[in-house]
Amino acid sequence: MSNAIEREQTAASGETLVDVQELKTYYGGDGFFASPPVKAVDTVDFEIQRGETFGLVGESGCGKSTLGRTLVQLEQATEGSVSFDGTDITELSGPELKQWRRNAQMVFQDPESSLNDRMTVGEIIREPLDAHDWKTKADRRERVTELLSEVGLREEHYFRYPHQFSGGQRQRVGIARALALEPEFVVLDEPVSALDVSVQAKIITLLEDLQAEFDLTYLFIAHDLSVVRHICDRVAVMYLGKIMEIGDTEELYENPQNPYTQALLSAIPRPDPSVTIDRITLPGTPPSPRDPPQGCQFSTRCPAKIRPEAYADTDDEIWHAVEQLREVVRERSRMSLSTTDQLRKRLDRFSRFDDIEETVTDLFGELSVPQSVEDHVRHAVELVKDGEPKAAQTYLREEFGGVCDTTRPGHHQVSAAGRESYCHRHLDEYEDTTTVLANYVDGA
Amino acid sequence: MARSTADTTNESFRHDSSTLTERIAANPEPALRWAGVAAVLLLLELGAFLGGVLTLFHAAVLGVTALLEVSLGAVSSGLGEAAFGFQTDALASISGVRDAAQSIPTLLSRETISNQGHMVGPNGPWTGTFLGLEPAYAWGIRVVLVLVYAFVTAYWLFRGWLVFRNHYRQADWTPTDDIINRLRDHRWGQFGIAVLVVFLTLALFGPALGPTTVQQNIKSPYAEESQIEYFSDDTGSVETVFAGKANFDSKSKGPNQNVGPMTYDDYGRFHPFGTLPNGRDLFTFMMGGARISLIVTGLAIGLASFIAGALGLISAFYGGTTDLAVLTTADGITSVPRLLLLVMLSAVFANHWLGSVLDGGFLLALIFGFTGWPLLWRAVRGPALQVAQEEWVDAAESFGQRPTLIMWKHMFPYVMGYLLVYASMSAGGIVVSLSALSFIGNGLGITAPTPAWGRAVSLGQSYVAGPSWHIALIPGLMIVILVMGLNAFGDGLRDAIDPETKGSDDGDELAAGGGA
Repeated sequence: MSNAIEREQTAASGETLVDVQELKTYYGGDGFFASPPVKAVDTVDFEIQRGETFGLVGESGCGKSTLGRTLVQLEQATEGSVSFDGTDITELSGPELKQWRRNAQMVFQDPESSLNDRMTVGEIIREPLDAHDWKTKADRRERVTELLSEVGLREEHYFRYPHQFSGGQRQRVGIARALALEPEFVVLDEPVSALDVSVQAKIITLLEDLQAEFDLTYLFIAHDLSVVRHICDRVAVMYLGKIMEIGDTEELYENPQNPYTQALLSAIPRPDPSVTIDRITLPGTPPSPRDPPQGCQFSTRCPAKIRPEAYADTDDEIWHAVEQLREVVRERSRMSLSTTDQLRKRLDRFSRFDDIEETVTDLFGELSVPQSVEDHVRHAVELVKDGEPKAAQTYLREEFGGVCDTTRPGHHQVSAAGRESYCHRHLDEYEDTTTVLANYVDGA
Repeated sequence: MARSTADTTNESFRHDSSTLTERIAANPEPALRWAGVAAVLLLLELGAFLGGVLTLFHAAVLGVTALLEVSLGAVSSGLGEAAFGFQTDALASISGVRDAAQSIPTLLSRETISNQGHMVGPNGPWTGTFLGLEPAYAWGIRVVLVLVYAFVTAYWLFRGWLVFRNHYRQADWTPTDDIINRLRDHRWGQFGIAVLVVFLTLALFGPALGPTTVQQNIKSPYAEESQIEYFSDDTGSVETVFAGKANFDSKSKGPNQNVGPMTYDDYGRFHPFGTLPNGRDLFTFMMGGARISLIVTGLAIGLASFIAGALGLISAFYGGTTDLAVLTTADGITSVPRLLLLVMLSAVFANHWLGSVLDGGFLLALIFGFTGWPLLWRAVRGPALQVAQEEWVDAAESFGQRPTLIMWKHMFPYVMGYLLVYASMSAGGIVVSLSALSFIGNGLGITAPTPAWGRAVSLGQSYVAGPSWHIALIPGLMIVILVMGLNAFGDGLRDAIDPETKGSDDGDELAAGGGA
């Protein structure tokens, strides 16, 4: 993959505009009877330089949109700080917050939903100006016409209604609205993912032009990795509320260090049929952000997970079966029991989870399982059958869990340019991710 | 639907920064043409129009000052008395202006086209009536003219909007256009509008429509000015008699004594709908009833819609605890049986001044309003919650728009349609409930002798199977037609606002519900 896309390098000044520290955004969880909160953004640190385009990628539900919304204060941060030009905006409220909002605007994903159909395009773009009592009425009109031509629409579109426009044109209106108050920082929340491919390119070009013209700083949220590579200077890869890897775009795409980044990038479709790429397919689905793993967030699906010392030599297939069993037990522990089942459990007549036996047969039936593994599996299965999947989960983690299951990794610097990756593998005592994954792909 | 985006010239944009007045000044002809006809229509009925506006103003001042008085009175009795003093002064001066306005002669008045006269001999001719016509024809001409006038005026108001749209509006298309266009093809909805126009006309022009007046025939038939002249066959000359005495001899009480629809009584008085068991004119009674019914229904549904709309937006926008609080309140109100509440409150306020405003109608309107909003609130909360999830609400928040404006500009336009539909349908329920209360009587409903439809039905109950069938049947039919019209209007509006639900019958339970 060497067809590096030509990208205009926007001049990042090296001056920090947005500094995010230890940011957490949780949903729910307050209140006495509430279930545990959804940890949408779970301790995130990064900086955005003035004038750069900072990309944020990850699969759906990883918290990237929430992070973007927190940065423009559409969501209240649970903990941590977001410094914007030195001001902690999570502390702002009332008139100060309203004043600050002029600096940071957002372009939304779905142009169908982000424009009020009962207002004319002119009113929509003018509304931010009205809300901030910007100059005089005539000036506002003037500004709106200016913005319309700025984003490639015509003056006479002023009195049209949004559904007289195509998706691309509507997104242009959304962009004009975001730019009305001359912000420094714009959060682009998947601005092109709802558009046709041909229109996507035009909108991307428009965004680049506007950035150059108005010295904008972008946070570009996307799940389309190719678009991110095209437009972003730096990029952060998110998984389950945590930044897995962060660094310069080109470097990260060429030589990813984090196992998750590697898996993600291996999924980009290649237009060249002659290139064979070893695709890393991740097993299972991401765990619930209500109950993230105790260790590394990615540990339940990681192809490069570190095994504990005691099982270093166990056969790969058996180890794989153990991992799958843990996933099943994990799913079980999320089920809540009905009152009747609770009662049955008390009376020792609980049988709802007895089908775990079948799972074990499926997983281990054909394998010759060593006694050491067998005993632990049996014990865990008994716990599940007694209706204690949580205890079984803990038991399995204590027995088969390595450092990835028990300890949160740190962010390790993985390149001279300052790229960081969130993985235990970067510690000296463990094998490098690239090597491990090369073996993994070969073995698969 | 949307016009193509290419056909507009820069012309429409040129007068972009102009105000409406400037645009009219630039091209005054269509506006002048419209305003000319409108002025003629207004002049024809200027006195009645001013009188009507001032009556509404009178009622509004009364309502507001009454609420002020109650709330201030709760704080200190001195403030309450001050408010009462202000109320008395304000109402007196408004009444004075109103009386002056009503003395301006109008074309469609009972004085201009009079049906009240008497024969000079055994076989006529008639004197005192319009052009010496028989009272029935004079009355008929007046009624037809009033209805024509009402429909022409209603159309002309709509025409005004068309003139604005075609000549002065800056946008060449708005979502409202679609709604209006769909309503233009909707016969059932148009029937509803026509019924509403007719009943509003009955209420507004009631005094001009009746063959006699409520004052003369019903309220004070033995007053000095309530004497009528008639040609007496017994004495062979023109005699004078009190309306009350004439009523006494014109009762409709079954086979032995009956004045049916479209007949004259012994005193040469024409009764389009016949008479009541007490000899009063049913048509006049119905006109008076239409006025009070529509005022009370309008007030009640207006109040309920306002509360429901505001709370619907607030509960959807803020959600969480606020929503829960409103929900609990609404459930609490719904759980009280409305009829029981009406009986209790009517008893409590029996001797309170609030119970005498609008002959008890104001209190009923308040009760219907404050107990009716949960139903409407439920209907709009769903759509409001949906709109609150739209990204344009987030967008407005992200540039720091005020919550009140977000609710007003970004949520209310989407909820208003539902509110209108459900309000027009619940209005039918209120009409029925109101009539039901007057039917029961005994201190409930509108205080006698002020006319109320339900009371007419009740009076005629014992004569249903007989020559005096008209007493119960005609008021009953009028109630049915009005309620049907309100539902038709609601249906039409729903189909116009949201064409996708056309044909579904999710309005049925509402159409049926709402009764006490």
